[in-house]
Amino acid sequence: MNAPPLTPTAFSRPAGLPMPLARSFVTVVLSTIVLIAVCAVFAPSSLSWGALSGSLPFAAIIAIVGLGQLLVVQQGGFDLSLPGAVSLSVVVATHYPQQDDALLFQAVLVAIAFALAAGVLNGLLFSVFRLNAIIATIGTNALLYGAVFAVSGGVPSITTELLAEIAGGETFGVPNSVYFALAAMAVVSFVLKKTVVGRRYEVIGASPSAGRAAGLSVRTHQMMAYVFAQLLYCMAGILIGGITREPTAFQGDSLLLPSVAVVVLGGTSLLGGRGYPVSTVVAAFFLNQLSQFALAVGVPYSAQTIIQALALGFGIGVYSLRWTLNVRKSTG
Amino acid sequence: MADAAIDKVERTRAAGDEPALRVTGVSKSFSGVPALRDVSVEFNPGEVHAILGENGAGKSTLINIISGTFPPSEGEIWFEGRKIEEMTPALASSLGIATCFQHPAILDDLSVLENLRVALPAALFSRPSPPEAARRMLAGVGLEVPPRMRAGGLSVAQKHLLEIAKALALKPKILILDEPTASLDQDATDMLFARIQDLVKSGTAVIYITHRLAELRRIADHVTVLRDGRVRGSAPVGDIGDADLVNLIVGRTLESAFPPKSPRDGGDIAFSATGLTARGVTNVSFDVARGQIVGIAGVAGNGQSELMRVLAGLHPATGAVTLHGRQLSPSELLHEAAFMPSDRHTEGVASGLTVRENATFSALERFATGGIVDGRKEADQVKAIFGELAVKAPGLEAPILSLSGGNQQKVVMSRALLSEPGLIIADEPTQGVDVGARFEIYRILRDVSEAGTPVVVNSSDAVELEGLCDKVIVLSRGHAVETLTGKDVTEARIVEAAVRAETHVRESPPNATASRPGGLRHFVQSDNAPAVPLALVTILLGLYVYSQNDNFLSAYNIYNIFLLATALGFIAMGQTVALLMGGIDLSVGPLAGFLVVVASFFVNEDKSALVIAIGFLLMFGGAFVTGAVNGILIRYANFTPIAATLAMYIAIQGFSFLLRDNPDGYISYPVTDWINWQWGPFPVAFLVLVATAIVAEYVLRRTKAGWRLRAIGSDEDSARRIGTRVDLAFIGGYVTCSLFTALGAIMLMTQIGVGDPRQGVNYTLASITAVVLGGTSLSGGRGTFIGSVLGAVLLTEVLAAVTFLGLTQTYQYLFQGLLILVAALIYSAVRRRAAH
Repeated sequence: MNAPPLTPTAFSRPAGLPMPLARSFVTVVLSTIVLIAVCAVFAPSSLSWGALSGSLPFAAIIAIVGLGQLLVVQQGGFDLSLPGAVSLSVVVATHYPQQDDALLFQAVLVAIAFALAAGVLNGLLFSVFRLNAIIATIGTNALLYGAVFAVSGGVPSITTELLAEIAGGETFGVPNSVYFALAAMAVVSFVLKKTVVGRRYEVIGASPSAGRAAGLSVRTHQMMAYVFAQLLYCMAGILIGGITREPTAFQGDSLLLPSVAVVVLGGTSLLGGRGYPVSTVVAAFFLNQLSQFALAVGVPYSAQTIIQALALGFGIGVYSLRWTLNVRKSTG
Repeated sequence: MADAAIDKVERTRAAGDEPALRVTGVSKSFSGVPALRDVSVEFNPGEVHAILGENGAGKSTLINIISGTFPPSEGEIWFEGRKIEEMTPALASSLGIATCFQHPAILDDLSVLENLRVALPAALFSRPSPPEAARRMLAGVGLEVPPRMRAGGLSVAQKHLLEIAKALALKPKILILDEPTASLDQDATDMLFARIQDLVKSGTAVIYITHRLAELRRIADHVTVLRDGRVRGSAPVGDIGDADLVNLIVGRTLESAFPPKSPRDGGDIAFSATGLTARGVTNVSFDVARGQIVGIAGVAGNGQSELMRVLAGLHPATGAVTLHGRQLSPSELLHEAAFMPSDRHTEGVASGLTVRENATFSALERFATGGIVDGRKEADQVKAIFGELAVKAPGLEAPILSLSGGNQQKVVMSRALLSEPGLIIADEPTQGVDVGARFEIYRILRDVSEAGTPVVVNSSDAVELEGLCDKVIVLSRGHAVETLTGKDVTEARIVEAAVRAETHVRESPPNATASRPGGLRHFVQSDNAPAVPLALVTILLGLYVYSQNDNFLSAYNIYNIFLLATALGFIAMGQTVALLMGGIDLSVGPLAGFLVVVASFFVNEDKSALVIAIGFLLMFGGAFVTGAVNGILIRYANFTPIAATLAMYIAIQGFSFLLRDNPDGYISYPVTDWINWQWGPFPVAFLVLVATAIVAEYVLRRTKAGWRLRAIGSDEDSARRIGTRVDLAFIGGYVTCSLFTALGAIMLMTQIGVGDPRQGVNYTLASITAVVLGGTSLSGGRGTFIGSVLGAVLLTEVLAAVTFLGLTQTYQYLFQGLLILVAALIYSAVRRRAAH
């Protein structure tokens, strides 16, 4: 019998960093640096302060909804209710106060209440009633849009000054929305990676049956995915309400695809499991800068979309290739 | 050496008594762990050749190689003296090699009849009629179920019989049976043996995998023993005694392999279970003295795994559980017990996470203050426990799947121990674990038990229970039929108790659906059942709106609703194909829009008929390419269906804008008029849609292509084993999906009337909504084209109704959302009820 050594030689090496840098993080950061270098050479205008402070708020919004989508994707889901959720919080934040600063706080509370309700609904449908995530969130999205029309009648409304100041303003020369995005990233990252709840959340996402067999409460964690995702969408919607002077009632529609794209580019598997919040946020910046670059060098809108699709395809390709190699190694 | 000997025999043989099948020098490894090493065996016609060996000896790997499920790493397969270059399931079945797998390749979503027809040549069903032919095949194995019944409703034993019926129907030259009697009752076993003897008389070579000596004596002529992937011996059954066989199988002496047992007998009771009753478990009581390991034994499927889950607190049960003199509530039991699941791949480890994460996820509180995990403390403790358990891993941050099976199991044990449990429940702790690690695991379990934590072990390996346990409870049909202690804990006594109490599993009573004949019952369970309530809702809604607004049922309005529904209907049919395969196609919407943009360059007023024809051709060509790219990305580049079609979604939108920045290119009126041709209140195009749906439905239910499509969505592995070329079929399915979308695009073209790059995208979600309303399941395997078309009609009708009722857009969205959610909830509830 080949008795293995009792001294754990393999583990005595100093662990180095407490969390090793994920390969996806390295990939996405390197790509971003390359992109910035390319921008600096070919389209320096896209890196000018003016261009950045104009585009960064949108990168921040994509980052925030991307973090929400990330949470759902981690549980093997796919949240199609994002457009409705974002649009609803936009119209609540603008229509409810009707440019009265004093009502803004209440409007935010109302938006949060809607977000909680939508999140609980999605969560219940997914975890308790075991509906497919796509079906559940298509349904919820339609209901949310019902609410959007009930609140707004489908017409835009002018934002309140206070909200424009908070969400659209700048502090130390950096758009405030960037701080919001960074704060969201910090919180999501910390909770996922450092707390008991977050660590279990990732385990259950990677394998619900393993979680169940270990006696963890799978349903509660899956519910949380949708609730916290909705809160992030709500935050994004309110920020849009401030950044855009007269936001439409369909502000969320254009965010669904980018939200999934940044999650995927950030290296999180659509099959669920470990999530990469920091990489997701970097990917949001990358995607945004890619558009800025294309815009600066005069590429038409159509080509921009194709470039984004290629970047997405390339990203998925790179990551799936890696997974394939890993799987091949372990199964035969 | 062995090869040379066999070759010599081969050369001296007359052509007439060739072995039916010969494997020479076959090796196979998984993740570097060899499962078979240099295996050479001959199987002769007219002989039952038994392959004997423990769990993990390589028996199943061998038959998977013979039946073409996967290729050997090395070695050759010879069939009737011909070398087979590359064995595939299709080739195997055309050669007359039929395999009954241990896990039957039965597709739950297909009916019994369809399961037979998808796997067997059509000629077998030509006379007298397919259902009658099927009934005879089923009668041949004593399986009395209606052929139209869904196979998902069969019991495990019935599925095995169905699998055997499939194999026998082929009148195979070589029949491979992998532990066929594991779930069969005595009568079914006798029947099976009689059939095997008939086959052997007619010259079939039977390869019989088993681990029961008694069966071997009854049925086999020749026996080959495998251990650790190697052939340990091969002889005519009459020439070898049981003792020798056992030595060949086990190949080790028990004393050296297992840690010494508890020196104490009796003593304080550490743990006791009294009158446990749950699903599959009836009134089981036992107790565990301090320092003892208790084993659970029985013929597979007699309530062992259910009992383990009850003991782990995962399944609700009545009865009492006492740990160290204190009775535990269910939640306390869940907290105290550490469960080591038998299915390590799905339940034991969370694949994709690291070794460290897998080792600690149930014990995180121990390293945390205020809910925040202390990484250093965690790493230290993991290192310490890995040292104790001698876990071999490349590092704490290595992926869990990079470890060998034995080390993965030790990680699961580490997790159990780190959570400082009051009780350890180990379900098949050494399944799929290599020999070296197995003994390590025995040692650890013994150490844990010595330290005072009660250990309960379930194992299908009686030798393991004999060596490891101080006490063994034998279960039969959920009852504890024997409790063995001390010297009585022997393999012989355990097996005897399990077998004597109830020779085999009692056949579970056929469920109500099986016994109750009648067409209505079958229809309610069929994929097309949702059509009736959908049609009713559609009509009732129509009548209600009509009662509020006379114009709703005017010919003009009906025509318009149907016309709108036609575009959605075709796209929904495409989506149905994708969902049937267990995929999804998000790119249908943009594709429809893109094809309209393409058409807007050709199908114009001033263009010749030829140019217009080219335009239509290009639409279908573009659809074909899109579908093929989707399929190829999914099957060969390993994209998930969502990821692949999402990238496609964005790209196609880009292409639309590339072709046209702004709406332009007006579609020819004559062409539009022609496509929108009206017949009574109906657009002819809608009638074409209905006809297409009926034809598609026929293909889906009555042809091999349709069954295979559903087979892939139902269970890809089984589909492959019955000879479906999964990759090709999948790509074909996505192409079909895109071609249906092209038909939808033609309708859309007449509605928009201009090449507008912004149009079409809504059809992605609308098509999924329509398909879900129609009753197609997103999990694959079950679906209906007719339902999808009805779903499209209902959805269009609802949108029109909102306008006619004078309601705001709020209601339009509200109704859509409620419709899809209510439909999905009803369907899922019905399906869940049918599954029980």
